Amino acid sequence: MAPHICQLCNTSRAQILRPKNHARICAPCFIDIFEREIAETITSTNLFQPGERIAIGASGGKDSTVLASVLKTLNDRHAWGLDLVLLSIDEGITGYRDHSLDAVKRNSVEYDLPLKIVSYEELYGWSMDQVVAQIGKKGNCTYCGVFRRQALDRGAAMLGVGHVVTGHNADDVAETVLMNLLRGDLPRLGRATSILTSTPSATMSRKETEADGGEVTITNVKRSKPLMYAYEKEIVMYAHYKKLDYFSTECIYSPEAFRGSARTLIKNLERIRPESILDVVRSGIDMAKLVPNAEGHPKGAAEAVIRNEVEDEAEGGCGGSNAKEVVSEMAQMEQKLRQDEQAEEAGTETEIKLPSKVLDGQRHDRDLKPDLPPEAALTTYVQGQNHDRHSQTDGQQLPSDIRTVPIRTKQEKKSSRKATRDAPVPKQRLGQCERCGYLSSQAVCKACMLLEGLNKARPRTGIEVG
Amino acid sequence: MPGKRTSINPPEANRLCKRCEIQESLVVIRAEPLCRDCFTRYVHTKVAKRMETFRVRYSGIGQQRKLLLPISFGVSSVTLLHVLNHHLGLQQEKTGRTGFDLHVVHVDTSDVEDNTAGAALMHVVQKRYPRHTYSSILLSDVYDSEEALSVLNMLEPETNKAIEKHTALHDRLSALLASLPSATSRADMVQILRTRLAVRFAKLHGCEAILWGDSTTRLAERTLAETAKGRGFALPWNTADGESPHGLAFYYPMRDLLKKELIAHADLAQPPLAPLLWEENRKVAVSTKNVTIDELMARYFETVEKDYPSIVANVVKTTGKLKAPVTSADDTACGLCHMPLIEPRFQVEQRCDGQSKDSMQVEAPRALELSLCYGCARTMPEDTGLLP
Repeated sequence: MAPHICQLCNTSRAQILRPKNHARICAPCFIDIFEREIAETITSTNLFQPGERIAIGASGGKDSTVLASVLKTLNDRHAWGLDLVLLSIDEGITGYRDHSLDAVKRNSVEYDLPLKIVSYEELYGWSMDQVVAQIGKKGNCTYCGVFRRQALDRGAAMLGVGHVVTGHNADDVAETVLMNLLRGDLPRLGRATSILTSTPSATMSRKETEADGGEVTITNVKRSKPLMYAYEKEIVMYAHYKKLDYFSTECIYSPEAFRGSARTLIKNLERIRPESILDVVRSGIDMAKLVPNAEGHPKGAAEAVIRNEVEDEAEGGCGGSNAKEVVSEMAQMEQKLRQDEQAEEAGTETEIKLPSKVLDGQRHDRDLKPDLPPEAALTTYVQGQNHDRHSQTDGQQLPSDIRTVPIRTKQEKKSSRKATRDAPVPKQRLGQCERCGYLSSQAVCKACMLLEGLNKARPRTGIEVG
Repeated sequence: MPGKRTSINPPEANRLCKRCEIQESLVVIRAEPLCRDCFTRYVHTKVAKRMETFRVRYSGIGQQRKLLLPISFGVSSVTLLHVLNHHLGLQQEKTGRTGFDLHVVHVDTSDVEDNTAGAALMHVVQKRYPRHTYSSILLSDVYDSEEALSVLNMLEPETNKAIEKHTALHDRLSALLASLPSATSRADMVQILRTRLAVRFAKLHGCEAILWGDSTTRLAERTLAETAKGRGFALPWNTADGESPHGLAFYYPMRDLLKKELIAHADLAQPPLAPLLWEENRKVAVSTKNVTIDELMARYFETVEKDYPSIVANVVKTTGKLKAPVTSADDTACGLCHMPLIEPRFQVEQRCDGQSKDSMQVEAPRALELSLCYGCARTMPEDTGLLP
């Protein structure tokens, strides 16, 4: 079989079959087009301002390494004047993070970028090893996620940087879209595909930030994903051909059933039709516009999406599979859904947990799962599931010029009966945690809450891990 | 699973039906053991709830409402026919007339698709439920430009002219399908054309709505499959009950029933539905080359449905909450699937891929008269002239 010629430069031999669309190209052309596509993503979405200070969330893994390399390259090439810095989080997981941190240090030297490392230990007094020793392997991802969210923002604030970029790729976003469809999590589905998210105050009154002399505080950090349209396979390929140095492994503590399931589907989809990864992302973006907000209207396209206190996707590593864990998450959800269904059919009340009411600065419910998203103000939405059985069931909005055909179901009749029994859910205010000052809709933020739980149970004699 | 004719759970000795507490239970539905009668009643009630709009009292005397029921001889559509037949019988008994008339149509794709039912089962079905109108049409009829779609009456021999015409139409359809790059595209195209044909047929025969037999499981599959194909924007229109952008209402009365429940019901119905069903020969495809996206999702949900049926139902429920944007008759519609295009579609593709010159897909519109949605641009053949 005659060797193929690169379809782009038409001169060199094509060594690569591009994962994205099976184009046959040579290595230099691949590197070139990969970089160009990312540049296009950045410029077409106006992701960066000229001269902006950007912190690259660097884990030492392939995504963040490639991200750092590409940003550095593009910054120099196009003279964007960006002030780049590497920001790394040390969760304190022996055998995992310590190796990848070495990789980050090497990157810092290689790309000549300053590096800041922030550890959970110094921020919170607990490393992940210690947390797991304390609470076991269930629910530990929640802690890691909550801590990491704050750690990135705090680290950025320490550096005086208002914009953090992460290495989330197209596969990650696609997985998140499918995962949230499977979990029935509409608000997260709405947020999963935004390339830029910010904390509410970053989009709120400028007066507040100006009053501080334009300082960056932990309450106004932007987050974006420039690699959002890049395929994971291509990122690996890029790293290979550019001989980039990274450390790849899966976090040893984590599986997540829905994400694992979604990941398998994505991999299979890719085999059938490689473009489908981007198609899922595209669908996700379109569906986000159809997610109703609190008033029940479709959101429409929003420029900067406001992210919740607890962000949705885990960064990179989470995805290893542990069969027992995988089963339990789906089984739990199945059980909960079934109970709700049976209660509904029997006409009894279902357990509706309102967003935690804070009395005396203490949370009075034992729910330690992520907080309600702000959009849930008018629905009861706990543990990532909608407990409001009475949400309108008349389905979609119909065009007004077409005769509507109402379908009255038993559900609707019940809802009119029970309407008086539901107390209106209080809208969530966005304020600051009284303990640490972090942005929170509660009086005490999620991290402080978790820490309180940990600290209370901490045995007096120190536990040495590892 | 097709071919599997056992009940969902093996019957347990001395276990009473939870609902009537009289008879022995034969199946366990969502953790409740049920006897044959209660189970049958469960299935019928679920469908009846969804048919509230078509009660006798809502139909004027002398103006009989007509509904189209496309049948594939799969368990879901046959069960729907069975249940509605019974439902109409009850209406007739109680009030002397019915809320609507059913027109059952089979879109025959066996000449262009493998592994699908031919028209032979039509006779059997018609014999068992004689009160309705039945038609069988070929998918290639979608190319038929004549106003009145020729309806094949199975008793009448085809005239030579008719045979010639059908051969020509068939050739065009085959050419179209042969030009598509993958099994997924072909399956997608067949699905789209079948829907379009059903809509056209419904309008020609004065049907005000189409009743699709899709089960909960099938709707969940569709949700994920269409998302994977890039048609997330159209999900509300593809899965919700009510007016569709085709100018006709679509209903899915089986949407509260899981596929496995329907399979169990088919065995327990009296008489059993097995003779009416087409047995799908699900070959276990080892190579992923020929698995389509739809099949991938079907297999996935078959597994999920086994142990986590409520999760399947939840997916459908969640999709039901997405709000379709308000559209008007002036909006451009996709030239293939007829879904409204709110934004121009081709430009979007470019932005994702950058100014990639290596793009393999035909992004730039060749015939500018045809606007396509993102998903159809994927499926689309290079030569748009092949489309009906």
